[in-house]
Amino acid sequence: MAERPEDLNLPNAVITRIIKEALPDGVNVSKEARRAISQAASVFVLYATSCANNFAMKAKRKTLNATDVMSAMEEMEFERFLQPLRESLEAYKKGQKGKKEASEQKRKDAKEKKNDVEENDKSREEEEEEEERMEEDQEAENEVEEEEVEN
Amino acid sequence: MAENVALSVAPLGPTESDPERCEGEEEVRRNEAGENKQTGPVAGATQNRLAKLPLSRIKALMKADPDVSLASQESVFIIAKATELFVEMIAKDALVYAQHGKRKTLQRKDLDNAIEAIDEFAFLEGTLDV
Repeated sequence: MAERPEDLNLPNAVITRIIKEALPDGVNVSKEARRAISQAASVFVLYATSCANNFAMKAKRKTLNATDVMSAMEEMEFERFLQPLRESLEAYKKGQKGKKEASEQKRKDAKEKKNDVEENDKSREEEEEEEERMEEDQEAENEVEEEEVEN
Repeated sequence: MAENVALSVAPLGPTESDPERCEGEEEVRRNEAGENKQTGPVAGATQNRLAKLPLSRIKALMKADPDVSLASQESVFIIAKATELFVEMIAKDALVYAQHGKRKTLQRKDLDNAIEAIDEFAFLEGTLDV
């Protein structure tokens, strides 16, 4: 089921918080201004996505990646975003790696505790764990199936 | 989804002194505070890593484009972060116009003025509800 771009907006509370944190204390924002900024943000996402997708298509790739987005920012004349985005991306990648390692470690510990379980049960669990671990990586592939149905 | 990764880590085991578990606990606290949102001094340190905007919503917006087939988790995250930077930028630029008008309240017309005056915002012209 496809959502129309007009129906999708970003959570007001989060947008409001971002605005408040950007502005000095004592400054207020009218409801109409907030709504307009929120709408602008959605338009930004759509425009940035379209721009980034052009770069992906040029490179004959079907998957939009971070580099495409960076190229899009340059194209859109938001070069000032590039440095902070690079830093955020590094931190994000480290965080993702840490999470993966942490959850793998937990699975290892959980597995060791279940050494008494019968062969059948064990192999079933392993399959489930493999699926869980792969879930993140395969998420995109699952989305493909969704997309094919949608489009 | 990216934000759900943290949630799946959370339920395993309550308090532990294991350093690896500590990270898991922090994630639980962060998530209890409300997904990726944070307040207080810790916010500064992790703000760069976590996006404030929900990645699921960003992804849904991206998928609305019929030409987009797949997007990596990283690309969704970067667009989320870029959108946050965009919101900060447009709010600050609009504020200048409010200050010209000697007002402390940002109004819709300040947004319109900023969009008209600033090149980077040209893509917004004609897109916002009147």
